[in-house]
Amino acid sequence: MLLLRLTILLFLLAVIPVDAQTGVLEVNGRIKVDGKQERLKRKRFYLFRGGLAANKALIDRMRAAEFVSRDCFYCRMNASPEFRAWLKAEDCESPFCREITAEDAAKVPEFKAALAKGQRQFAKKPTLATGWLTTNLAPELRDGFYLQRKKAIDGLLAGVKPLQTGMTDSVSIKAIFIDIPVAPPAGKTSETFLVSNLAPFEIGSKSYVWACEVEISADKRAVRSLPVPEPGKRADKCEVFVRDIPACDGQGCTVK
Amino acid sequence: MRIRTAIVITVFIAAAIAANFLPRSAAQQRDRFSHASAAHKKLDCSSCHKVPTSNWLPARGFPDVAQFPGHVACASCHRQDFFVGNKPAFCAGCHTNATPRSAPLFPFPVRSRSHEFAIVFPHSVHQDIIAGEQRRRGDVAVAHFVNASFRTLPDDEPKFNNCAICHATATALPKFAARPPVGQTPVGEAAGDNFAPTARFFKTMPSGHATCFECHYQGLEPVATNCAGCHRLTPPYFESGVVKRYSLKFDHSAVNDKGDLVHTRDCMTCHVRISGNGDLKTLKDADVPIMACMSCHNHAADLKTELDKRAEAPKAFQCNYCHTAAVGGFPVPPSHEKQ
Repeated sequence: MLLLRLTILLFLLAVIPVDAQTGVLEVNGRIKVDGKQERLKRKRFYLFRGGLAANKALIDRMRAAEFVSRDCFYCRMNASPEFRAWLKAEDCESPFCREITAEDAAKVPEFKAALAKGQRQFAKKPTLATGWLTTNLAPELRDGFYLQRKKAIDGLLAGVKPLQTGMTDSVSIKAIFIDIPVAPPAGKTSETFLVSNLAPFEIGSKSYVWACEVEISADKRAVRSLPVPEPGKRADKCEVFVRDIPACDGQGCTVK
Repeated sequence: MRIRTAIVITVFIAAAIAANFLPRSAAQQRDRFSHASAAHKKLDCSSCHKVPTSNWLPARGFPDVAQFPGHVACASCHRQDFFVGNKPAFCAGCHTNATPRSAPLFPFPVRSRSHEFAIVFPHSVHQDIIAGEQRRRGDVAVAHFVNASFRTLPDDEPKFNNCAICHATATALPKFAARPPVGQTPVGEAAGDNFAPTARFFKTMPSGHATCFECHYQGLEPVATNCAGCHRLTPPYFESGVVKRYSLKFDHSAVNDKGDLVHTRDCMTCHVRISGNGDLKTLKDADVPIMACMSCHNHAADLKTELDKRAEAPKAFQCNYCHTAAVGGFPVPPSHEKQ
């Protein structure tokens, strides 16, 4: 009889859905750098379970990580100054970021070469040479930066799987994480999570990496802002790695 | 006894002769090709499909797979199937009427047949690599960051995050349907509803290779010859082409009294699940949660009003601000109560 009751109990536990508690996190992408407000538009953030202490190994890897800046990457790939300027003009990391106009194709040597190649390849349908211009760009200029950055992020994660990832939009400048499974420890109503961009965001002449703790509960939307600490100071419940961005000066890539 | 033996022998001989006329291989037992057969699954796509096919220019206008593979692709394994009977069933996989003199082909692909492949499109990866903001006339984001009174730019609609590369405002009304919650029953009987959306309520979705090949034709993986990069074998299914919505009344192109567009925020402001999603088939709920709507629609006549009315008369009142009758009568989900 006892065995039967136990079986029924186990069966019920298996089939009755547990009312899982979920929370919402809003990462505010508006930051203040040197008194000026900056908007981190369309930037990716990663959410991890646990706080700074629980993710110490990841934080240590972030501290030691050396990401190649956008300018240096394209500099090392011998991209022309015009190509780099085209990217920088709209804060683009790849040529897929915006439309390549006829004017761009005439001005940027890499686009000009790709267009000429396409015109030969698609002689039967010349409009494809412009519409499909990126398919004739050199690989390192096409998706090289994305691939090397992805590889660097994978190395940082070292098998750790983020709970969720999300991007800031370009209007409200927020990254919204929803349906976050929250399991507060006994005696608490919230659980500690870590939100980080992992790969540095370039703002002006510096790059920024945040790893910030946030308390998330099921009953209230959590909001996390990204502090920029004054030099020599620490931000509360955050590790912020601020580095100077090396610049391409024709001789190579150097920190000015 | 002799008669019985003679009958058995006759039946046996007749069966043996009849068996000779039966289709010789599985390929003769159906009138269509299956990618899912054990033998076909072992083959690389490129061993049959050529990219592009010779007819690409008139058929598509861009280098595409616009034709069935040639006889050579089939002949190495199915040579004997070409010569079974006057009209081999095998040929009906590609030909509308296979005769030695003429063998017209079905249009490729054959739309009336079930699909064998599902498409995997990681929005997350594309958001990382193509996400951009088209700036125009100053800072678009400032112009669109609006709360109570809506303002829009005088030029065309915003194309935030390059989503518009693939999703444009529809010009033709797609087939549409309400998407009622699964596993629930309406609280009351559904009231009549003659709501009719227009084409501009909807956004288009790419179909075919035209959009993908713009970037992926060559060089950028998965390239045109890497079929498996996007296509995954799946149990056969028919594409209904029906756009299903929880909130059928949401109009992407809604305008205010002044004729200005009102839903002009970045696509990702509402489609919050998209930037983290690697395969749409894994999305369990709507990619626009109610909280995205609530950032603006928190005034009278919106959610709160409807929730109050619903609480007063659960069976009589159906939510109708966003939902049609097919959805408005279902129990209020916890996500709505939480707002």
